Amino acid sequence: MNDDTLIELASGAFRERDRRTGRIVPSAAWMDLDADGREALFEATGQSRALEAALDPRGLSATARAVLARIQGA
Amino acid sequence: MTDLDELLPAIAAGDAEAFGRWLAAAEPGLRRSLRGFATQVDTEAVLQEGLLRVWQIAPRVTPDGKGNSLLRVAHRIVRNAALDEARRMGNRMESAAEELDPEAITVAEPDPWLRELIEACFEALPPTPKKLLGMRLEASGGVHDKVLARRAKKKLNTFLQAITRAKKLLARCLEGKGVSLEAS
Repeated sequence: MNDDTLIELASGAFRERDRRTGRIVPSAAWMDLDADGREALFEATGQSRALEAALDPRGLSATARAVLARIQGA
Repeated sequence: MTDLDELLPAIAAGDAEAFGRWLAAAEPGLRRSLRGFATQVDTEAVLQEGLLRVWQIAPRVTPDGKGNSLLRVAHRIVRNAALDEARRMGNRMESAAEELDPEAITVAEPDPWLRELIEACFEALPPTPKKLLGMRLEASGGVHDKVLARRAKKKLNTFLQAITRAKKLLARCLEGKGVSLEAS
């Protein structure tokens, strides 16, 4: 996978949870990026969240919806 | 100044919808506050973990009269979550910690005009990128892209490339309307 696809993958809001500790774990794609890729990812993620929030009737990004889903599913 | 503490009593009482309204306004600023950690931790994972802790701690937060008490508590929680994660990964984060500025945390306001423009540009996308980006948006961070790609009968790489292309086309369309989609 090249940096562009790694960035696209990691810029999504999906994150797995550690089954033992319950902690939200870093994206494997983030792990595979170098420092420049991670900087680019930060910008791409912010833009994606802004896009999602702007399109959502409640103004919620995918991050906010993922957090709410965890709260409501807990 | 918008004071999100008006939502605090409902959030503290367990009203997830009120927390959703708080998240919509608070998330962009909290995310920006993690800028200095971008190369050291997965800021998306840290932010989600921090926001879950904010929900858990909200019933114990008392407004101090200065406004946005929960937002300021959230800023500390998110920063500490980032520092913990950086240490867990064996990184030293003093410089990033110093860069965090509580005053830089601002409240995002909804923009109906921007939403209309984005919707128009989204509708104008070619069918495949539009469909795949729509799947990603609908999944709301609850489904891995591998699963979405399988549902779309695409290879993961193809799926991700189509999403990237859709976003680029969307950005170009918005630029044509004089809008740059920066992280708000």
